[in-house]
Amino acid sequence: MNMNTNSPNNNSRHIAPERIAQLLTRAAQRLDDNTIAALRQARNVALQRQSLSKPVFALSTGHSTHWLMPHSTHQWMAMIILPIAILFGGLSYWHHTQENDLSHLDTAILTDDLPLEVFVD
Amino acid sequence: MRNSAIIAFLLLGLTGTPAGAATTSWRSLTPAQQEALAPLSQQWDSLPELQQHRLLKTTKRYPKLTPEQKQRFHSRLEAWSKLTPEQRNAAREKYRAFSKVPAAEREQVKKMVKQNQETKVQQSASGVPAAPPSIQP
Repeated sequence: MNMNTNSPNNNSRHIAPERIAQLLTRAAQRLDDNTIAALRQARNVALQRQSLSKPVFALSTGHSTHWLMPHSTHQWMAMIILPIAILFGGLSYWHHTQENDLSHLDTAILTDDLPLEVFVD
Repeated sequence: MRNSAIIAFLLLGLTGTPAGAATTSWRSLTPAQQEALAPLSQQWDSLPELQQHRLLKTTKRYPKLTPEQKQRFHSRLEAWSKLTPEQRNAAREKYRAFSKVPAAEREQVKKMVKQNQETKVQQSASGVPAAPPSIQP
């Protein structure tokens, strides 16, 4: 680990990537047991945290559909209420359109050239 | 509680009118609505809610009518309001069907009806009863 950073030959900008890899491997081989144990423990902790954030079943169900499933009560409520609201909105619009058509038709009958008796039995 | 409020709101939107709302009184109508529905001023308060609602919708088009159309509208309004819902529906269906007839044939029918009306007016004025229609063998 005797690396002189002031020397232009040792500057990382001028060292080939293969040379850097060799230096890191050599440096890793010279690490003491305590450092290696600490690094191993840190790696294990990092792996455990990763497994907690990404459960196994989530991977098995597939990434593409997992986000569609509601996870909380609010999301379940929204999933139930939203289609009902869309349905009622559609029915309301249809009802409004029907009523408008009827009033248009009534006005036409009441103002047409032909007398009312022609259309009434 | 909040869910029932949402459902009530949705139902309100569906019907377009407040649930269980009473009929609209003649006094509560705007001057423009009263002008359009003037022939019904006496019986307005006794009309069913749905009929009132539909008649009020027709008043939105009233200002755009020609004077002749306004006169026809007023003269037919009372008779129209006295029809049963079934008669009004049947009249709407007839009008719809008649609207689909080609314009040339529609004009012919209008001429025939006009001639028929003029004949009736002349006969009632002269006191001569209408001749029975001739039956072809």
